[in-house]
Amino acid sequence: MPNTKYKFNPDSLSFDKIRLGVKAILLRSLAYLIGSIIIAAILNFMFGLFFDSPREKALKREIEQLTLQYDLVHREMGNLEKVIDHLQETDDNLYRTIFGAEPIQATQRQSGIGGVNRYEELEGLNNSKLVIETAKELDIIRKKVYVQSKSFDELILLAREKEDMLRSIPAIIPISTKDLTRIASGFGLRIHPVYKISKFHAGMDFTAPLGTEVYASGDGTIESVLSSKRGMGNYIVINHGFGYSSIYAHLESFNVKEGRKVRRGDIIGYVGNTGMSIAPHLHYEIRLNGANVDPVNYFFNDLSPAEYEKMIEIASKTGQSFD
Amino acid sequence: MSSGKYFLDLSDLQYKRVRLPWKNKLIRIILGSLVSVAVTILYTVVINDIFGSPKESTLSQEIESLKLKYSLMGREIDNSMKVLNDLEQSDVNRYRPILDMDSIPLSIRNMGTGGIIRYEELEGYDNSGLMLSFRLKVEDIRNRTTVQYESFKAIEEKKNEWKREMEYLPMISPVNVIYRLGDGMKFRDKHPVLGTPQWHHGQDFSCPYGTDVYATGSGKVIEAGWNGGFGNCVVVDHGYGYRSTYGHLSKISVNVGLNIKRGDMIGLSGSTGTSSGPHLHYQIDLYGQYKNPLYYFNNDLSEDEYFEMIQTLTARSKFR
Repeated sequence: MPNTKYKFNPDSLSFDKIRLGVKAILLRSLAYLIGSIIIAAILNFMFGLFFDSPREKALKREIEQLTLQYDLVHREMGNLEKVIDHLQETDDNLYRTIFGAEPIQATQRQSGIGGVNRYEELEGLNNSKLVIETAKELDIIRKKVYVQSKSFDELILLAREKEDMLRSIPAIIPISTKDLTRIASGFGLRIHPVYKISKFHAGMDFTAPLGTEVYASGDGTIESVLSSKRGMGNYIVINHGFGYSSIYAHLESFNVKEGRKVRRGDIIGYVGNTGMSIAPHLHYEIRLNGANVDPVNYFFNDLSPAEYEKMIEIASKTGQSFD
Repeated sequence: MSSGKYFLDLSDLQYKRVRLPWKNKLIRIILGSLVSVAVTILYTVVINDIFGSPKESTLSQEIESLKLKYSLMGREIDNSMKVLNDLEQSDVNRYRPILDMDSIPLSIRNMGTGGIIRYEELEGYDNSGLMLSFRLKVEDIRNRTTVQYESFKAIEEKKNEWKREMEYLPMISPVNVIYRLGDGMKFRDKHPVLGTPQWHHGQDFSCPYGTDVYATGSGKVIEAGWNGGFGNCVVVDHGYGYRSTYGHLSKISVNVGLNIKRGDMIGLSGSTGTSSGPHLHYQIDLYGQYKNPLYYFNNDLSEDEYFEMIQTLTARSKFR
């Protein structure tokens, strides 16, 4: 069979040769190819509707498990957050009834999102990453400046005062207290737990388990070690010189004798519940030339500025005292 | 007819229509299909493997958004942990010392955080680590929450007990602090009236005839009337083994069986019974053993403060 094909031309009533140009051939193959690709895409899509590739299967499995676990953890956390909220209320209540004051928390309490990301308001802005980084750096610098200024203060103090005096001034908290939770009552008018009236509280109270170590807050001489079943119970008076003395009351037992020299941080006794006290605690007083002063102003040695601020806030709250 | 194709039959020089036999048609169709299939496979392999199928990228996106959800929940979890830490600090540093309770041992606090539990169903995923860490965190929070819940329950109970005890134990002076203290608890060589040597088991207050006498702690009146040497006498049972006795009263204003609060007036002082002059005899015993009343109050109030205290204490009292 010859390859030449003819086409009937009705106008001239003759048979014309069919001639295909290169262009036409190209066009045809292109059309064919495109058609194939479209069909392939459709086939691929249809196939995908009913069957998954191994990779897709793995991804789907991953998603399924992730969702499952998320829901599980989320539900669980929802329940737990409710319980934790309840615990917070209990805590606040306990605080109110035991300390007679509105509670201040160490960290901002709010379960759920919020209060965590300090830079949240900066997110979503153009170049937010840059802005946040800058804000963070600024914060760090601010902190450094704060610390620096504090150490300058110390330097000035050092320059002004004799080294001796610095060692002697009662300048530390007489009990070890992480995050300041042991502060129970400050200096000034406080509701008396038994009398229920406002009474002047000449010192600070620290809660601590019976037997907790009590430290001398500055170098000095033990002026007196007294035992009584009334008032301050078993208590120690340290004479620091320079007009300063400090008193540690309601102790369970003593670790020093009268006349002994002590250095800052020496264990002088143990927390107790002796004398007129309603619970185990340490009552701590500082006297300057015989007059009671607010001990909160003397804890500059072992607190950071932030902690110091926190302590003043806690101590200034009008709560009740423990003796 | 115009679209039909013709060919020239050289044997008879006629134009004849081109008719393909079915075999040829079949071959053509098969060939065409094969090319299509080849293109399909090529498409699938090349396009999908290099660029990922649309479905895959949707799925990957979904995973990314899930991870975002996880990280949001992570914040929530971290915050809850912070709150829990706070609560634990409160528990350990505040309440337990005050209420003289032992701390919960760390072994109990940290129970279940040893990682003994295995989550086999989480193994073999790209994000196994992520899911596992969340499960473990929640497990940890759940355990700690449970411990804290139980702990607070115990503290709450102890606190109520403590509060009650503070209200019931004798802890104030029975008369205003301005009155001088008379004989304390001691062995007297000579009783002021009887003249014989004997123990004095209480504390005397030198107050004039008719001074208000207040209950020093809440409790129940178990005696109110004449009691030999004590004359007109009131005895209050404070519970916890404590009783307080108020002797030589001129007037008694409570009845036996009455529940009274600290600061409630129980009568007026006088000189009834074996007494050499107007005074109040105040006595405390614990399970029948005499205690020095001086150890049960502080002389740290002014006259006005004492008065204010009595008013505050009895402000909500039903009695008086």
